[in-house]
Parts: sequence; C-alpha cells; structure tokens
Amino acid sequence: MTTVTGVQARRAIFASWLRRGTVFIILLTLVVFFSLASDRFLQSRNLVNILVQNAPVIIMAVGMTMAMLVGGIDLSVGSVAALAGAISAGLIVRDGLPVYTSMAIGLVVGLAIGLLNGVLVVYGKLPPFVATLATMGIARGLTLVYTEGRPISGMGDAYTFWGSGVVAEVPVPVIVWLVIVALAYLLLTQTRFGLHVYAIGGGEETARLAGVAVNRVKLLTYGISGLLAGLAGLLLTARLWSAQPQVAVGFELNAIAAAVLGGVSLFGGVGSVLGAVVGALIVGVLGNGMNLLRVASYPQQVIQGIVLVLAVAVDMYTKRLENR
Amino acid sequence: MTATTMPGTRRRMDWRLFSQRYGLFVVFLLLCLALTLASDRFLTVDNLLNILRQSAINGIISVGMMMVILTRGIDLSVGSILALATLITASMVQGGAEPALGLLVCLVVGGALGLITGLLVSVVRIPPFIATLGMMTFARGLALVYSGGQPITGLGDGFRQIGTGFIGPIPMPVVVAAVVFVGGYLLLNHTTLGRHIFALGDNERAAYVSGLSTRRITAFVYMLSGVLSALAGAILVARLNSAQPTAGMGFEFDAIAAVVVGGTSFDGGEGTVPGTLLGVLIIGVLNNGLNLLNVPSFYQGVVQGAVIALALLLHRLIR
Repeated sequence: MTTVTGVQARRAIFASWLRRGTVFIILLTLVVFFSLASDRFLQSRNLVNILVQNAPVIIMAVGMTMAMLVGGIDLSVGSVAALAGAISAGLIVRDGLPVYTSMAIGLVVGLAIGLLNGVLVVYGKLPPFVATLATMGIARGLTLVYTEGRPISGMGDAYTFWGSGVVAEVPVPVIVWLVIVALAYLLLTQTRFGLHVYAIGGGEETARLAGVAVNRVKLLTYGISGLLAGLAGLLLTARLWSAQPQVAVGFELNAIAAAVLGGVSLFGGVGSVLGAVVGALIVGVLGNGMNLLRVASYPQQVIQGIVLVLAVAVDMYTKRLENR
Repeated sequence: MTATTMPGTRRRMDWRLFSQRYGLFVVFLLLCLALTLASDRFLTVDNLLNILRQSAINGIISVGMMMVILTRGIDLSVGSILALATLITASMVQGGAEPALGLLVCLVVGGALGLITGLLVSVVRIPPFIATLGMMTFARGLALVYSGGQPITGLGDGFRQIGTGFIGPIPMPVVVAAVVFVGGYLLLNHTTLGRHIFALGDNERAAYVSGLSTRRITAFVYMLSGVLSALAGAILVARLNSAQPTAGMGFEFDAIAAVVVGGTSFDGGEGTVPGTLLGVLIIGVLNNGLNLLNVPSFYQGVVQGAVIALALLLHRLIR
C-alpha cells in the first residue's frame, strides 16, 4: 500500500464531490438558463407544475433505482402503471367497489407483477431485460383486454383527489412522491436491506458468500419496483380523471434515463434515490422550459436526445477524473 | 477423458449436447406442429411464404442487433434510424432520384447514424443503453422535424421492387433477408473481424490487451446495425409505398426478443446466426398463428410475452 499524500487525497475528495455534484450542477444550469430565457419559468405556479407533472416518473425512477442497484432493470413499469390504473378504475366504475379497496387492489396487482419479474429473474434465471420485456408485453396486453381498448372514467372525487387534490397548499402527488423518496432513501441508507441491496450490486457472489439472502433481496427489489409502478399508475389515472389503456407507454425509458442521469449505474451497486429524483427533474425541467420557450414538440425530442447523451458524457468524464 | 467414460454417460452427454444445440429447433417444430393441427391454413405454401416475408424486416434488423449484443451492447435506436433514413430516401426518390441511388443514400444515412452511436459507446464510453436511447430520441425527433409529421407517399415502381418484387417464386424481402443472414454467418464465423467480435464480447479487457482494436470493432457493429435497420426500412416503405415518421416504433424490442430467444446471451460473446434466425421465425410463426386462430389483437401481447418467457425458461431448463 502506498501512502496517499495530502494533495492526492484532497484532489480525490474534490473529484468525488464534483462527480456527486455534477447532476445538481446540470439541473442548476438548466434552471438558470430557463429563468433568464423565460420570465414565466420561475413563477411558483410553473415550478409546482413541474413537481406535479413529474410525480409518476419520479416514483417509477425510485423503483427503477432499486432494480438497477441489484444489477437489474425493469422495463415493465409503464405497462404495470397502466394495468394498475385500469384495474383500480374498473373495480370502482364497473363493480362498485369502495375507492380505497380498489386502489389497494391496483397496488397489489403492481406488486404481483413486480414479484413475477423477480421470480423470472431469480429462479428462472432470465436476464432482467428479457424477463421484464416479456411482462411489459403481458401487462399491456392485459390492460387492453381489461379495458377493451377504451378509457374508463367516472371514478369519483375520492380517487381524483390523488391526482389533483391539495393539502395545505401542497398538491397531493407532490406529497406522495416526497414521502416515497424519503422512505426509499431511509430504506436504502438506514436498514440492513439497503446495505444488502448495495452489496449484491457490488458483487453478487461475494454478497452470497457473506451470508446475504441474495434471492430474497432481489425478489423484493423487483416487487418494490412493481408496487411503485402501480402507485405511479394510480396517480396518473387520478390526474387524467380516467384510466387510458395506452397511458405511460415508453415511461420505462424515461425512468431509466432519469436514474442514469442521476448517477445510478446500469451495472449495479452504484447510485442513490436522490440522484434519480434529480435526474427525473432534469428531464422534467428541460421539457417544461422548452414548452415555455415555445419550442415545437418535434425539435424537443432532438434536443432531449442530445442533452441525455451530453449529460451522461459529462458524468463519465468526471468519473474518470475521480478514478485518476 | 472420453476413452474412459462409460457408454451410458457418453450417451447422456450426447443427449445434452443435442438438446443444447437443437432444443430451440425442437421448440420451433413443436410450435409449427401445434399450429398445423390447430389451423388447416397454416401449412400452405402461401402462408409459409407470407411468414417469411413478414419476418424479413425483423430478421434483417435482428442480425445487426445480435452483433451489437455479442459485444455486450444493445441498440435501442434501430426503429428511429429506420424512420429517418427512409424519409430522406423517400423524398429523394419522389424528387426523381434513381431508385438505386435512393437505396444507397438510405444505407449511408443508417450507417452514419449507427457510427455516431458506435463512437459514443466506444470513444466517449457512454453505456450502450444510454447512447442508443439518446440516438433513438434524437433520430425520431429529426424524422418528425424533417417530415413535418407527415408521411411521404408514392415512391414509384422502381424503388418498390425491393419490397414487392419476386425472384422466381421467392419474394424479394425474403431474398434480401437470406443474403443478410448468410452474410452475417460468414462474417461472424469465417472472418477475422467476426472472431474479434466474439473475443471482444467474451472479455473486452483481454481483447484489448491482446492488441485488438476494440474501439473500431465496437464502432463497426453499431454502424452495421444502423445499415441493416435502414435496409429493413427500405423494404418496409417499398411495401407500404409510404415512409412514415413514426415507422419502426417498438422494432427494437421485437429484434431484441428474437435475438435473445435465439440463444444470444446478454453477457456477450455467445450466440449464433442460425439461432437468431430461429428466434425470428419463432416470433414470426407465433404472430401468424395468433392471426390464423383469430386471437383478438388485445390478447396477442399477452400471448407473445408469455411465449417468449416460456421459450427462454425451457431453454434454461434444457441447459
């Protein structure tokens, strides 16, 4: 072991802070840019709007972070959100079940598909990408079958409250994602389960030899991802006042992009929930800002693609600085 | 070792080898057998040619996707590249350009876009998932901007040959796909570059230290994937007589499913072209069967997902 000089240590610490801070700096840059470019950006109504609109993707990104931390991925989140929303709405509208029972069943459906993903990955030994690609098709198909391809609406105020309600001037979706993020943060940083999640991501075999119940932990992370996707689906359905069979198509890619922007590694073991939230906000702020600047929707996609690649490239560069 | 093994063990070893090599083929035959019994329209020449023609597009894309996955990568951008390349070609051909020139431009645009993702992956070292996701959004956006969201319709009979023509009784798309599969097979198994792709996927570090130009190989496979996506796109627009800015959405997932069902590993370095062909055909036969049996389209996603998962589980079980 060579001794580390003070300068080297300081440089390493600086690089490490720079790396962790990159994602915040990118978000801040975007915020400053749009504040200067549009006088409507910094209005509180617009800022609140960003936080409300991105609630589903933020919640999905939290679940995605868990799956990615154990070295997996979850492509089914968009379809699961649609299915959970459709079933909860259908149970109320068609079967007259109480609102909260229906919502709970929607969440259970999300959890069940998440656990199915876990079983396919852990016991079926399927690559996570393929297992969740299959359930993505299955869940979307089930949604179409259940809704017969038509939207379901008329769930009532108690349901739509979760999408457009306000408590003490804070929109309900924002409260929900704040609570979820806080819980997930505590789960990952303060519990043995969280420690095991990082251990598995760092090296599955090592974790197993160290006595971590690898299978159970991985199963649970996929279950949590499914559960949170279901929750995101309920919020979406509540905000749209109806369950749409084609809702949340492609949201899995947004959630993955958010997590990766936030520094979550696609190879497991590295990343945090807070990073994923900031990543989701970067995507959200970018979209909002371009709307305010009246950028047409087609060029927006071009810019989004460039920003995604640029942001990750900057992140890779600072990571290399840190490792130097 | 083999000289001292008991006859009984030897036979079991052979059985395992057999199921490893041909297990997927057996799955395919069982699927065909089941559909032959279920529908008397399945086993007709017309229908079988139809399956091949419909599978040609996914097949061509899958060959490129497979090479990318062999290097431990993934290519989400195939559908968007297809859309952008074909739109540019369609407007050229409509403007009176020679069909052959149009096709060439299509392939060059596809290759250039693929090369960009390849360089992002190999030089900037952005994870393939993100680099190709970025290209997917970027190229789709450009396709929409370029076309103003409107399809470009009417390409003329010359260009349409690649989608609607025949060589003898064989539809042109099937001929093109066959050439791509044979070419892919020869490239992977009979060229130095092919062996290098396997070596890179098996262990990038080792390949690098052994003096392979890993950057160039990586850039190449993404470029090839772009070219093949554009080629598949040319067939698609020739058949439809129309280039659409939203064409090819979700094609990446079809191709990935075919490649993985065909036994290519996400861990890189493991996979065969015949396997990929089987994967493409299994998915093609499945879609065809669901239509012949009049399964409502809503159920098709459910059945497809379930069959893909089951086929893979079976594959694992056999191994």
